[in-house]
Amino acid sequence: MATPHKEQPRLQQLRRFVTEAKWFTQETWIGIGLVVPATLMMMVIIVYPTVRAIWISFHSRSFLQLDQVQWVGLANYQQLLEDPVFSQALLQTVFLTVGAVVTMYLLGLGLALLLKENLPGLGPLRSISMVSWVIPPVVIVIIWSWMLEADYGLINLISQMFGGPNRSWFGTKTWALPLVTMLRVWKDVPFVAIALMASMQSIPQEYYEAAEIDGAGRLQKFRHITLPNITYISMIMIVIETIAAFNSFQMIYIATGGGPVNRTEVLGTYVYQQAFQEYALGYASAVGTVMLVLLTIFTVVYIKLEDTE
Amino acid sequence: MAAPSKTVQDGRTGIVGRFDAFIGEDNSIKHALGVYGALTLYFIWFLVPILWLALSTIKTGSIIQADELIIIPSIEQITFANYEMVLTNPQFQTMFFNSIVISVSTTILTLIAGVLGAYSLSRFSYPGRKSLLIAFMATKMLPPALILIPFFIMMYTLNLVNSYTGIILAHCVRALPLALWLLKGFFDDIPEALDEAARIDGCSHLKVLYHVIVPLAKPGIAVAAFYTFVTSWNDFLFVSILSQGDSTRTLPFGLYLFQSANTVNWGATLTAATLTAIPSIVFFALVQKYIVKGLASGGMHGS
Repeated sequence: MATPHKEQPRLQQLRRFVTEAKWFTQETWIGIGLVVPATLMMMVIIVYPTVRAIWISFHSRSFLQLDQVQWVGLANYQQLLEDPVFSQALLQTVFLTVGAVVTMYLLGLGLALLLKENLPGLGPLRSISMVSWVIPPVVIVIIWSWMLEADYGLINLISQMFGGPNRSWFGTKTWALPLVTMLRVWKDVPFVAIALMASMQSIPQEYYEAAEIDGAGRLQKFRHITLPNITYISMIMIVIETIAAFNSFQMIYIATGGGPVNRTEVLGTYVYQQAFQEYALGYASAVGTVMLVLLTIFTVVYIKLEDTE
Repeated sequence: MAAPSKTVQDGRTGIVGRFDAFIGEDNSIKHALGVYGALTLYFIWFLVPILWLALSTIKTGSIIQADELIIIPSIEQITFANYEMVLTNPQFQTMFFNSIVISVSTTILTLIAGVLGAYSLSRFSYPGRKSLLIAFMATKMLPPALILIPFFIMMYTLNLVNSYTGIILAHCVRALPLALWLLKGFFDDIPEALDEAARIDGCSHLKVLYHVIVPLAKPGIAVAAFYTFVTSWNDFLFVSILSQGDSTRTLPFGLYLFQSANTVNWGATLTAATLTAIPSIVFFALVQKYIVKGLASGGMHGS
C-alpha cells in the first residue's frame, strides 16, 4: 500500500477510498464471473430438473405421449400409499442402507487399524485395497455374477467340494438382497478404510506415547485416543455412504433388475422401472420425490458437518 | 503414505529393522501375526474375485466352464483368443472410442469450469459465496433417478438424445460439485501471498491462475481429473437412457447389454469386463499417492 502524502490528507484519503471501492467492486465481479460457468451448469442440469421432477409428480404423464400432461394433484402420492411394491422397495432400501453402512463402517474401521500398522508389506496393500473402489460397477457385478454362477462359479465349485449346494445365488429369494448389499460393501469398504486411516495418521504420536507412560493398553489407546480423534471423519463417511446406499441403483439394476419377485427392488430401481419401462413419469417422479424428502434429512446433517470444519 | 515410523533406535533399517523395532516395542510377534492373519482373510474376500476374473480371461472356453475347480490352468489351457476376439470386435472398438471421447471431453470441460469456479470460491469474497459452496455439495446428494426423468425430457426436446453432447453434459454435472470442492481444498492450501505478489507485478487474474495457481495445484488437478474421468467412464445410468444406438454407446452399458443377452459366452464377457476396468485402474495408479490428501480435504465419492 502506498503511504498517503502529508499535504491534502483528506482529498488523498477520499481518492484512495474511491479507487479501493472501484477495485473492490471490480474484483467482486470478476470473482462472480469466474464461478458463473459452474453455477450455470448446475442450475440448468440439476436444479431445474429437480424442481421440474417435483412438478411432474403432480401430473399424469407418459413417455409414449410426452405432450399429453394432466394435472392430478396428489393422486400419485395417494397411489404410493396403496402400492405394496413401493412399501416393499422402501423397506428394502432401508435394509440395504442400514446393512451396507454398518458393515462398511465396521469393516472399514478394522481395515484402517490393520493397514495403519507399521509392518513390512502394508504399503502396497494400502494402494491395492483401493482397486474395487475404482472398478466400474458393471464390472463388479460381472465379477460377482461369475463367482456365484451356477455350475461353473468358483463359489459353487468350492461349495460342491464340501457337499454344499450349487445354485444361482442372485436368483434366490433369501440371498438376493444380502448379496446386492454385499456388493456395495465390497465396493466401498476400501474408501471408508483409507479415509479413516488418513485421519488416524494425523493423530499426533505424542498422545499415544503419553498414554503408554500412563500404562494404557492397546484397547484403551484405541478407545480414548484413536476413536475420539476420528469421530468427525467417521460421521462424514457414515453420512456420505448412507446417501450413496440410499440412492443405490446401478449395481442392483444390473445384477438382478429388482428381482427375483421384487426381492431386490429398492427406491432407485423402482423409479427407473416406473419411468423407463412402465413409462409412468408422474408416478416415478412421485417415488423420486419421496426419496428426495428422505434424503434431505441426511443432506442437512452432512452440510452441518462440513460447515463445522 | 507411510505410517510415521517410530523405529530405528538401534540404527537398523529396512524390513529387518522395522520388524525388530516393532516386536521389541510391543513384545509380541503374536500381534504381527494377528494383523497379517486378519488382512489375509480380508484380502481373500477382496482380491480372489478380481484375480479369478483376470485368470478366467486367459483360459480356453472349455476350461472356463469346467465343472471342476482348475485354479492354475496348464500351458495348453491358456489362450489369448478371448482378447483377440474382443479387441477385434468392431462393436467393442466403437464403444471403446465412444467411452474415450465422452470421458476425456467430460474431464476437460469439468476441469475448466471447476478450476475457474474453485479459484473464485477460494480467492474472492462476494455475497452468496458460502451458500453457493454448500449448494454445490448439496446437489451431489440428489437422487440421480429423480433428475433423470426431466433431464431426459429436456434432452429429448433439445434433440440431444443419442448425442455425445447430452451424455457429456450429464457427466460433467455429476462430477463437477466434487471436483470443485477438491480443487478449492487444494487452492486454499496455496499461500495467498503468492498470487498477491503476481497481481502487484501486473498479472491479470487469469494469468495468476495460469502461472501461479495451476502449476502449484497440479496434484489436486490430477485428483479432480481422475475423479471426473472415473465418474464418466464408469457411468451406466445416464448412458442407458441417453444412448439409443451403437453410435453413442459406451463400454459399461454395452457390457450390460452383452452380458444380459449372452450369458453363455463367459470368456468374451469376462475379457470385455477386464478391458473396461483397465483405464480407470491405470489412471488410479497414476494419481493414487495424491488421493489420500484429496480424501482428507473433503469427502470424495463415486456412486
